[in-house]
Amino acid sequence: MRLAIFVIAVIAAGCDADLDPPWELDHDRIIAVRATPVGIVDGERSELDALLSAKDGTTFEQAPLAAQVISPMSLVGALVNDSGKWIVNMPPAAALAVARMELKLAPDAPVPLQVGVGYLVNGVELAALKTVWLGKSVQNPLLAEMVIDGESLDAKTELVVPMLTDVRFSVAAIPDDDVNWLTNVGEMHDFDLPESYLRVEPDEDKLEGELALVKRDREGGVVWRVWPIRVE
Amino acid sequence: MLLLLGVRVVGAQPPEQPQAPEPLDKRFTITGRVIDALGRPVRNAKVAIEGTDGSVKTDREGRYRITAPLGATIIVEADGYNPGLATIAGLNVDDIVMLTIAQTTETIEVSGEAPAEAPGAAQLDRQELQRVPGTGGDIVRALTVMPGVVNLQIPLGYSGVVIRGSSPQDSKVLIDDFEVPVLFHNIGFRAITPAETIATLDFIPGGFDVAYGRATSGIVKLETRAGSDDRSTQAEVSFIDGGLVAQGPTGKTKYMFALRRSTIDFILPSLIPDSVDLSLTTVPRYWDSQLRIDHELSSKWKLTFSTLGTDDTFELFATKNEDADEKRFFNRTRFLRTTAAARWSDGPWSAKLAISNLLQEFTFEIGRYQYIRTRFAAVTPRVEVTRTAKQAAGLTDVTWRTGAELQVGRYGIDLALPVEPREGEPMPEFDPEDTSERFNDSIWTPDAAAWTVVQANLDKRIRATTGVRTELFGRGEELSIQPRGELQVKLDKAWTARFASGGYRRPPQYQSELLTKSLGAERSWQNILGVQYEPREGARVQASVYYNDRTALITRNDDGSLGNSGRGYTYGGELLGTYRGGPWFAWLTYSYSTSRRVDQPGMEERLFTFDQPHSMNAAVSWKRGKWTLGGRWQLYSGLPYTPPIGSVFDSDRNIYVPIYGQPNAERAPMHHQLDLRVDRSWKWGPVEMTGFIDVQNVYLNDSIVTYFYSYDYSQRSAFRSLPIIPSLGLRGVL
Repeated sequence: MRLAIFVIAVIAAGCDADLDPPWELDHDRIIAVRATPVGIVDGERSELDALLSAKDGTTFEQAPLAAQVISPMSLVGALVNDSGKWIVNMPPAAALAVARMELKLAPDAPVPLQVGVGYLVNGVELAALKTVWLGKSVQNPLLAEMVIDGESLDAKTELVVPMLTDVRFSVAAIPDDDVNWLTNVGEMHDFDLPESYLRVEPDEDKLEGELALVKRDREGGVVWRVWPIRVE
Repeated sequence: MLLLLGVRVVGAQPPEQPQAPEPLDKRFTITGRVIDALGRPVRNAKVAIEGTDGSVKTDREGRYRITAPLGATIIVEADGYNPGLATIAGLNVDDIVMLTIAQTTETIEVSGEAPAEAPGAAQLDRQELQRVPGTGGDIVRALTVMPGVVNLQIPLGYSGVVIRGSSPQDSKVLIDDFEVPVLFHNIGFRAITPAETIATLDFIPGGFDVAYGRATSGIVKLETRAGSDDRSTQAEVSFIDGGLVAQGPTGKTKYMFALRRSTIDFILPSLIPDSVDLSLTTVPRYWDSQLRIDHELSSKWKLTFSTLGTDDTFELFATKNEDADEKRFFNRTRFLRTTAAARWSDGPWSAKLAISNLLQEFTFEIGRYQYIRTRFAAVTPRVEVTRTAKQAAGLTDVTWRTGAELQVGRYGIDLALPVEPREGEPMPEFDPEDTSERFNDSIWTPDAAAWTVVQANLDKRIRATTGVRTELFGRGEELSIQPRGELQVKLDKAWTARFASGGYRRPPQYQSELLTKSLGAERSWQNILGVQYEPREGARVQASVYYNDRTALITRNDDGSLGNSGRGYTYGGELLGTYRGGPWFAWLTYSYSTSRRVDQPGMEERLFTFDQPHSMNAAVSWKRGKWTLGGRWQLYSGLPYTPPIGSVFDSDRNIYVPIYGQPNAERAPMHHQLDLRVDRSWKWGPVEMTGFIDVQNVYLNDSIVTYFYSYDYSQRSAFRSLPIIPSLGLRGVL
């Protein structure tokens, strides 16, 4: 009920629009944290990194400045720093058994290792949580059938879009996938749907920037790609 | 911002506006009400004009309608009462209060308005509801002028009213003695019943009678209006809604029927810019309807049948892609209350018998995974017997009432939602896939209540009320005994002091409270001390101070379950001054309150979410000839809120989890605004026209109501009050 009232109130009255929308890349933020791979079995290791954006409109990939195990605490030793890279090593079976008891999991269930990671962007401390699955092999998803206005995005190294036109994007996804289209040029519509569109108005003060596509799956896997974008 | 421009067309309804100076012998249709010293209607009273032969009888509400010239004297006669007199100064005569012979011989004098139902209580009748500037004649907005009502620019909670800083669910709204689940429509925040169908609105912020229960704060009582003596049909339409009201007599039966439908859904789509990612697949719309039939079976028996229903629905997609069901929002709220009631009176005995049925449906669906679908059916038989006696056991003017009601309800609940926040808990992050609270079953709530109360004069100055309400809440198998009492001391002719004290219970019946069978009722013990000063007829000042001790508040335990571990208290003071005389209607209120609670033993005390320390309303309306002018100024504190102090990004869920500071540690700024209203009537051929303009917030004060936060809680934006809301209307009377 409260949400219904809120929706109607916003429709009826509106509110100040000085908040950065969630698709805005000109914002100090962690866009996604990646574990490669997201699930590991005996003998495997997973590396952590993230896609970040800064207020000046650039995106970049970076390993965490700091990281620590949040849960289960019995697996604190599974996370190590290896020459500036944060690595999750598959613990021995006995340690996993203790962790399963700590988390009250079934004896053969995969163990979710929750890791907290920290970054510093433009002096702003940013924190995020990431889960790495121990005891099952899970790969990050792939990006497929990426399309811009009917043309494949796969081979494009730069996107050129017209002004005052709905430029349509799409990517292959199943209903459980979480897709985000982010940019710092124009206004992105349906940024969190597999099919979205970008529109640039004449009063737009930024005509060059980036477009990022991030896709997450149910298993915690994540994949992204970033293109330069220019308005003509 | 919406511009509310309304056009009303009214057919065959007596004009409400007095006309310009007329010949002294011209006769008008005069209306009014006859009540006793306790504010109850006096039925079958004979109302006559001095020096004439004709007379009329008052109806069950004590109302009468008679033709007479201005300046004439009304004489009222009723069995057991001294004659009452009043001079006709306008088309609506102030209430005529009839005193029993015992009352006049014992010099407890009550004149002018009926006494308030409890210390601090107030009443508005239909005409006053429609005169208060800034309310647009709407009941929900009119409630905001009441002392002790938490004021905000949108209705609060389910009922639309929060009283004395407590939780919304702690107060009840009753229509014709039975609870209604909601008082306002989602769109436009309009009341579910038009003011034209309401006879009176009683606001009782605390200390209410044993006949009412299931609330630990206050109650709002609305009494619907019986059909008038003359057949009439009224139609009105505005940019918000349009409807019909038909009423009149057929033999010994009177009927009143009202039907209303929103019209804003025809306009709303054109107000939304194309650039907004929104598809209104079902534009927000509502219906409401009221039917009341009154039949006089005999001089002893009077029957009433009434229904009240609403239906609100909308469906929208937060995208233009209507296949994206993860962005779908759907809501449907509807209910139908049907009541059959009988009133019987024979000498000193009288009785009220009623049976009421409520059918309610609430559906809310968010995205792919989250939903709540509830259906509720309840039947409530209720009986109350009253015996009056001039003398008994050494006491005088004795009234004894006793009654009972049964409320048997069945909820069908199917939900998959996140765990809801309790009072004071900030909103969690919005995770559209979170369905950690799941339930699909039916729940029976067999509740019963019985009460008895005696009112009597202890001596010439002191009137005492003592009673007890016993309630059984069947689901939790909890029996409670709630003693309540009041002392009224007439200090002198103008001053009366009142002290009320009593226990109250509110059963667990909101949201997930129903899912936990072991939950007990929340409790409050209220103490109210008030004084009332009536320097002259029509003028009243009442002040009260109160302390409400709240225990067994339903809060979340450490393990996430619900329990009755909370405590709290509210104290404050209220001032209400009213004047009804000649062309003037004036209303002044000021409330101070502090409302604090502790959710678990050992936790820090914090403010209730609706704690509002200061609230002031000053309204005045002046009616002369063709013009009615009015203004209302209001000033009130902002509400507390819990500020987020940071967030952590959960990358797998793609959600920022807020980190909050101390609960309700900050407060929105104070708000003030001025509302003005002008009515003018004129003649257009055979049609009596009335036009009005009601402008809210005329000096454009756009203060901050609350804050919205960005997706990562790093930025915030003020949600400001609407700077100005003009409302125009036109009414024609044939």
